[in-house]
Amino acid sequence: MSYRYDEQHTPPEPTRVTDVAITTFEDLYEVDPRLMQEWVTQQEFPNWDSLRIMNSRHDHLEWMHEHFAHKVIHGSELLPADPDPNPSGEVSL
Amino acid sequence: MTLTAERVDTVVHALRRVLRDDQILTSKTDRYNRARVPAPFPVHRWAERLPDLAVLPESTEDVAAVVRIANELLVPVVPRDGGTGLTDGAVPLRGGIVVDVKRMNAIHEIDPVNRTCTVGTGISMLKLNEQLAKHGLIYPDDPASYPCSLVGGRIGTSGWSLIGARYGHTRDLVLSFDHVLPTGEVMHVGDGVGQKITKSSSGYQLKHLFMGHQGTLGIATRATLKLFPKPEAELSPFWAFDNYDDAYACVGDLARAGVATFAGAVLFDEHKVAYLRRDDEAYIPQPSDVRALVCAVMYGYEDEVRPAGKRLLRIAQSHGARYLGDEISEGDWAARHDRYATPLHGRTGNGQVVPMSWHCEDAAINYTHLPAVTREWHDIVAGLRRQSDVFDDWGMFAYTSSDNGTDWLTEIDVGIWEQQLDDRAWALWVQAKRDLAAVSLKYHGSISACHGSCREGEVDLVPDELGRGFQVMLDLKRALDPRNIMNPGKYHLDRAYS
Amino acid sequence: MSLTDGGAEPEVTVRDERTQEFVAEWRNASYNCYSSGHKFCREVCPVMQVTRNESWTPTAFHANVVAMERGELDVADIAADYVNCTQCGACELRCPNTLFTGDFYRFRTRTVDVVKAVRALAVEKDIHQPKWQSWNERTDERTHEPVLGDIDISQERVRDWAADLNIPIGGESILFVDCEAAYYRTSVPRAVAQILQAAGYEFGLMAEQWCCGGPAAEMGYVDQARRFAEHNLADWRSVGAKRVLVLDPHDYISFTEDYPKYFGADFDIEVVLVVELIADLIRDGVLTPTVPIERTITYHDPCRLNKRKGIWKEPREILRAIPGLTFRDVDRVTQWSYCSGGGGGLPIEKPELTAAISAGRIAKAADLAVDTLVSACPWSERPLSEAGAAQNIDVIDIHELLAESLGITVGGSRS
Repeated sequence: MSYRYDEQHTPPEPTRVTDVAITTFEDLYEVDPRLMQEWVTQQEFPNWDSLRIMNSRHDHLEWMHEHFAHKVIHGSELLPADPDPNPSGEVSL
Repeated sequence: MTLTAERVDTVVHALRRVLRDDQILTSKTDRYNRARVPAPFPVHRWAERLPDLAVLPESTEDVAAVVRIANELLVPVVPRDGGTGLTDGAVPLRGGIVVDVKRMNAIHEIDPVNRTCTVGTGISMLKLNEQLAKHGLIYPDDPASYPCSLVGGRIGTSGWSLIGARYGHTRDLVLSFDHVLPTGEVMHVGDGVGQKITKSSSGYQLKHLFMGHQGTLGIATRATLKLFPKPEAELSPFWAFDNYDDAYACVGDLARAGVATFAGAVLFDEHKVAYLRRDDEAYIPQPSDVRALVCAVMYGYEDEVRPAGKRLLRIAQSHGARYLGDEISEGDWAARHDRYATPLHGRTGNGQVVPMSWHCEDAAINYTHLPAVTREWHDIVAGLRRQSDVFDDWGMFAYTSSDNGTDWLTEIDVGIWEQQLDDRAWALWVQAKRDLAAVSLKYHGSISACHGSCREGEVDLVPDELGRGFQVMLDLKRALDPRNIMNPGKYHLDRAYS
Repeated sequence: MSLTDGGAEPEVTVRDERTQEFVAEWRNASYNCYSSGHKFCREVCPVMQVTRNESWTPTAFHANVVAMERGELDVADIAADYVNCTQCGACELRCPNTLFTGDFYRFRTRTVDVVKAVRALAVEKDIHQPKWQSWNERTDERTHEPVLGDIDISQERVRDWAADLNIPIGGESILFVDCEAAYYRTSVPRAVAQILQAAGYEFGLMAEQWCCGGPAAEMGYVDQARRFAEHNLADWRSVGAKRVLVLDPHDYISFTEDYPKYFGADFDIEVVLVVELIADLIRDGVLTPTVPIERTITYHDPCRLNKRKGIWKEPREILRAIPGLTFRDVDRVTQWSYCSGGGGGLPIEKPELTAAISAGRIAKAADLAVDTLVSACPWSERPLSEAGAAQNIDVIDIHELLAESLGITVGGSRS
């Protein structure tokens, strides 16, 4: 809740995800910092800012859904149980 | 800029008779910031694209008065709306007056019974829809620049919409508009002369002529738009494939299925997937055998969308698709309404991050030719990349344009490192654009489904594409703009006057 | 690698060394905007919404830096344009380069910083905006901003708002009160102090509080800003403070962004936002508002909390704890495009724009048929109150409202 310099400038220990990406906070991916050494260097990024951006992104995407439609239907609710033998033809539901 | 200081003074003096001082902008920053659009720009030659001044009209009468003065004084006029286009329609090539319509953003009428609204062309679709939502309505013109492009620019470029397969594209959604001709006369143009008519057989079908002209035939100032109920439900499944061919077969079947709520489908090729793995949180953790993606989207009432969705999910399953899950499907779709590439996607040959401008070369291609065009386009961009780190291949998409899968907006995204751009790199780029356009024509496509084809490079092939029709374009241009003041230098229309 | 010109960057013709340093520092930040040119910032920008002038958009503020790098423009050409920014942060957050990839690259859009840097470069080159120059001169003389116009602001009066509240000087926790609240809207610090007293939360005041320095930094007077910061930090240390309680979002930005830049790891003071502290105290049952407030309200998300810090839940928690209120909320994302126009020095140099922005904000509240707009930012409350008077909408600070519901007679001035 409160701001302390030390806390803000100590991110969680990174874990490698791929050869170009790492992860720090849960669900927060970051570029491998070795890719930002020559032409563009990383900015100073306190923890609150990384988390603010990630949380705002989720809020924004939710807002966009609401902007275009009253509700979102989850594809997982409609997944077919078994492959249909004649999917693109005249099948009854 | 092209005018002498003395001529600028004369123009400003004349404009002051019809506009307030705060509507006439002459400072350097006013001009530098109305010289470009998001597409790659020869930043090292910025000064060649400057207007001499800009004006901020507040009414059709203001626009007409400015154009009359320009026509009388033989000063070029360049209409500027959102300035978000990708084919330089709003970029001045001969200086002159930029007519920036952003102040004309009023909602004049919402007619929920006849399902229309009438707006100033300086309004964005997002801001309009915030107001329409209060009435349960939506104006479903949905480009990737949805939050910032403006209705007038959509008219001037004849825009393409992500969900056009369901609701139509800009040409279908704009019913009529007030239009200032290059002589300063004001015309109302639509189907017939009606304001709220969706289909008329009276007279020539002039509406299409005054859409997509890239500002060469005048300026739309006030438009009547077609409205729909805001959808009750949205469904946007995304699927992964281990090869392009299965994804291609799947997306074709989805588009051809004839599902009424179907609003669009998108095919992501292998290069695009590789590109997304660079920095997209949805795709970074995906297994390496994911090599192509397909998504589909449906809008409508829930009791329509659910069975339609089941049908499309069954079709996808029959092609070996793997559903990517609700979180990725829903999150990625929501991001497509404002999905411009971000510059740090750019990489040098050794993988270092650099800020690159995004350019999207597009064409309209029939389904059967998508694989060949995809292959040949990647070869062209690979040639660029071999010659210079200034260029980077960001992969390709194919989007449904219609509701039956006939033709597809086909685009290749190319990163261009503007900080390093020079004349040699720019010349390589312009030639590549000609080559890309030539491939589109070879496969009986159109040079652009979406952005327009009036930029340096591809514009050279427009006469080939249109054939005798290009001569008709020249005849029309000369008839409507006898003094060639409206956005001169675009589309090789100067040939009308030689 | 195979750059087109053999690895060297194209030659540029920047006019002087200082400008070269400036563009070297900001070129990548500005190219990150320029090379995308999305303009998703445009319709959320409060100044753009009322002027519809593309020269005064975040996109232009970055493009001008690129033009400076190219030798096309000089700071003298651009300085006056940079007045037209409230530093609300909407553009930065709404930019895809922040929202979709800022956390990934640890590189986000920095329009506020670029605006501040251009203003600072202008001041350094002796290019002044006349009202800002005068404002900062007077602030420098009096150690506080001249928020009462011609009425004198003096150091002796900085604690007048607390005269009857028996607040000690010093202690572990210090309540910092911004200039607007200390001299103009004194009901806000009075409400805060009495709420904390009611909760039994111990705190004191500074020995000699000066302006936080944030406004000077925002307007380009960076040396002055730094001097003020040094004074305040020394004062906190001299009275044994370990933490600073902040009631004003603008101060919160100064203490969590400017001060850490000035002092680095030496900045060992904990910074606590009062609205978050109070939400905690309510959640923990230490404070329970019981007096019903019969008002129909909506909440104005202060830009520096919602957009620049992502703080929007706690104020809503507080409002939902107050009995009697009818709360017509507008979500935080919609409010990215809302602003009072009260920040970044805009009301000093262009009060007519601030008034127009506030009028637009009040009109949105009026659409909800509310009688009260609740804010959590003293700097927004003056312009919003002036605009609200025309629409019969009362503008109240969240702390004032909570204090009333806790049965506290707040006192002080609201205008």
